[in-house]
Amino acid sequence: MPTLTINGKEITVDPGTTVLRAAAMLGIDIPHFCYHPALSVPANCRMCLVEIEKARKLEPSCYAKVGEGMVVHTESPKVIAARRAVLEFILVNHPVDCPICDQAGECKLQDYYVAYDSQPSRVAVPKVGKAKAYPIGPRVVFDGERCILCTRCVRFCDEITGTSELTVAERGDHSEIRTFPGKELDNPYSMNVTDICPVGALTTRDFRFKCRVWLMSSTDSICTGCAKGCNVHLEHFQGEAQRYRPRFNPEVNEYWMCDAGRMSYLELHADRLPSLRVLEDSELSWPRAARKVAALLGEKATGEGVAFVASAQSSCEGLMAGREFVRTMLDDAPVFWTGRPDGDGDAFLIRADKNPNRAGLAGIFGVEVLAQDAHRLLQELERGAIRVLYMMDSTLPFTSDEMKRFRAAVEKLELFVLQAPRRGGLDDLADVLLPSTTHAEQDGSFVNEDGLLQSFWAAYRPRTQALADWEVFVRLARGADRELSFSDFESLHGALHAEQGAAQDAGE
Amino acid sequence: MSTHNVTVVERPRRNLWVQSYLPEVAKGLAITSRQFFKNLLTGSDIQTVQYPEVKRDYPLRYRGLHRLTYRDDGQVRCVACMCCSTICPANCIHITAAEHEDTSIEKYPAEFVIDELRCIVCGLCVEACPCDAIRMDSGIHAHPFYERDKAFLNKDYLLDLGGPSTAVQGGVLGSRSAR
Repeated sequence: MPTLTINGKEITVDPGTTVLRAAAMLGIDIPHFCYHPALSVPANCRMCLVEIEKARKLEPSCYAKVGEGMVVHTESPKVIAARRAVLEFILVNHPVDCPICDQAGECKLQDYYVAYDSQPSRVAVPKVGKAKAYPIGPRVVFDGERCILCTRCVRFCDEITGTSELTVAERGDHSEIRTFPGKELDNPYSMNVTDICPVGALTTRDFRFKCRVWLMSSTDSICTGCAKGCNVHLEHFQGEAQRYRPRFNPEVNEYWMCDAGRMSYLELHADRLPSLRVLEDSELSWPRAARKVAALLGEKATGEGVAFVASAQSSCEGLMAGREFVRTMLDDAPVFWTGRPDGDGDAFLIRADKNPNRAGLAGIFGVEVLAQDAHRLLQELERGAIRVLYMMDSTLPFTSDEMKRFRAAVEKLELFVLQAPRRGGLDDLADVLLPSTTHAEQDGSFVNEDGLLQSFWAAYRPRTQALADWEVFVRLARGADRELSFSDFESLHGALHAEQGAAQDAGE
Repeated sequence: MSTHNVTVVERPRRNLWVQSYLPEVAKGLAITSRQFFKNLLTGSDIQTVQYPEVKRDYPLRYRGLHRLTYRDDGQVRCVACMCCSTICPANCIHITAAEHEDTSIEKYPAEFVIDELRCIVCGLCVEACPCDAIRMDSGIHAHPFYERDKAFLNKDYLLDLGGPSTAVQGGVLGSRSAR
């Protein structure tokens, strides 16, 4: 175990650790462009040069391994001068078009220029022109002039996705990132290159010119695109989601997420249920609506022929409340489940199960419920065995033909209550519409495919009357002058954790 | 508070001449009438102007209505970087960016609206602009609006007030090193 000194602080690390990692453990930040913890180390940007005593030259700290008794200086005059020189070199042909660059505000080149360079350009010859706003792939835009040739994107496509679309072409100051002839940057994870690009050379087409990054707030959230449950930063401005960005979690997604998941933020605002409606009455407050719905349920939702549909899109808290709601308000009606249909999966992050919380659903309602899927529900409906239907979501895994059959069957129901964030083409048939929130508008948690319970937090308030699923159930119960065993999120969340903990102990 | 600096001033005693009021009223009326006839006959002492028929010259740095400057070819100079709308303390600038077909321009404002009812005329937008695209030197002061939506000045209106900028787009080559 070598012991070394960095800026006068001693640290003992495992042999083979790089100086940059050792410094990071001490809380010393060494500026770098090309180094990325998940990728190989080319040491080509020279930004992380540090002074190591008894070494002849400055060493790249991302590549230099620690040695016993090593003495490292990361802020010595020699190092600072080197950084300044490196930045000046990088900026020789950089267009400095920060006003129109989407990376501005989260650009490492900007940050380091302010921190270490801050000098005007001394170059009086025209800059080398390169590709501008070039669509390098269906979801990514490339700007050759902003590129600093750190090759993070090239290494990502070689080492993480293994698709190897990118390479560095040409020589010297004409070097440029290009795709191989006949290829384009089109793999299911292609948008990750825009996250690892330290400058604005690679940006997403979706986020292009949409919002300046300094205007957005960021909330820790979970991607709902599939059962993997990738951790994301949900970035939003004025109550509207602007983009997802992967959030580091070594147990789930590391630094990455798939393109489909990243684009799934678009669903957060699409097709939302506008307001409460009970029969013909659509100008209602929640307490009044709750009383009316409770009366309707009390009148019709008793005895045989009642069914409850739980959603694999809903949070664990919503499902727990739903389970108790079925017990107290629906006479222990049979439970079905719905969600998105299965799609393609791969060996990396994309899962075939496109629902974020199927595992949570199975944990809360019991594994048996998974057999009672939407197709079973359709059979039961067509058999005429169901009079009253309470659905927690409007997402259905149906083909258009099955959807037609489902609509026809639903029309014959005595009472159809739809509690959902989205219309889903069912809102016109529902007798009662109860708008609920998406995961971006509520606190809650999902259980991913590997059984990991992960929390997410409310990013912004809903624009409509929508309430979180659990709160809808609590309010409806109150409308019938009954109480569920919890009345706030904390007690519900605590109960969930207790239950999950007990289940895990039993499993072990 | 310390008291040793206090000078006590005696209230002037009012004698009968003052207390009777009438002579003082006559004195005041004399001053007013003198000024009235002087202005009526010569007009030499009048401080007010007959606005809006007559207008004073505004100082050069007077902040009036905003204007958007344009490029040499008449296109809007603004690149929709949102610096002005970010710094605006009244939140009165609304920009929607769009892709320009010319890749050397790339980004331009498809919409640029200034809510003059909200604007507090602080001039921070002008200082924040990296492109000399927005200015407040039109010399026109914000006038009242009879309809609310007339106060939302759009891009076309602001460009009509504008003119070419004296700055060179992208700076002069080598000019920064001379500094």
